[in-house]
Amino acid sequence: MLSKDLIRLNLDVKNREDAIRTLAEDFVKAGVVKESFVDAVLEREKKSPTALPAVAYDVAIPHTVSAHVLTPAMNVAVLKHPVEFQQMGSPDITLHPQVLFMLAISDPKDQLTLLRRIMKMLQNKELLNRIRDAKTKDEIYDLLKPVVEE
Amino acid sequence: MATKIRILSICGSGVVTSSMVASKLKDLFEEKGYDAETVEANSSEVESCCSRQQFDLIAYASPINDNCGIPAFNAIGLITGMGEDEFMEEAIAALHKAGK
Repeated sequence: MLSKDLIRLNLDVKNREDAIRTLAEDFVKAGVVKESFVDAVLEREKKSPTALPAVAYDVAIPHTVSAHVLTPAMNVAVLKHPVEFQQMGSPDITLHPQVLFMLAISDPKDQLTLLRRIMKMLQNKELLNRIRDAKTKDEIYDLLKPVVEE
Repeated sequence: MATKIRILSICGSGVVTSSMVASKLKDLFEEKGYDAETVEANSSEVESCCSRQQFDLIAYASPINDNCGIPAFNAIGLITGMGEDEFMEEAIAALHKAGK
């Protein structure tokens, strides 16, 4: 679901595509998605962007359809410098996410509790700030364990 | 007796975000005395969904071309938590207008 291999601190990326590709390839390496997930999630972000003006700072939640997913998972990247993403639902608005949460959802009905917890996390200013300011992967892992645990 | 309403929840893939929005809407409408049934779909499926079933509202997290004459509202505020009250006020005003 979430492992320390799926957490990136201080991720230095040039742009949106670079960021998404890095996280998607981490998912492939972890064996939670098919290789086709990488192109699918990049394509989906172009067509339907996923950045959100969250309560603490901008975030993005790149994801795609379940066909490319093997096991439900989430990964987290705290970016060294924010990169440009377009806002979900309003592609003409540019946001600058500081943290990315990539989602691999294999069955939204089955993983509804997880999705609800993720939404709650996105509305929790203190938690978001602690994730962004974390010094170690362990710290992030501990903060997110209650979100992703069964 | 709760008033039954049907909401079409739209996002880019018709899966992840629309499910988050749908579950949130069920809770919020329950508090307001409605029994909300939701259908999740992607933005290119709006017309076909509306031709198959009657909907009272559309909540979209991905832009839609055509609302098929159904009151449609941007659902991003439901995900970020900011703008939740405004969403509900407008949605309920639209339901009242339709006699629900």
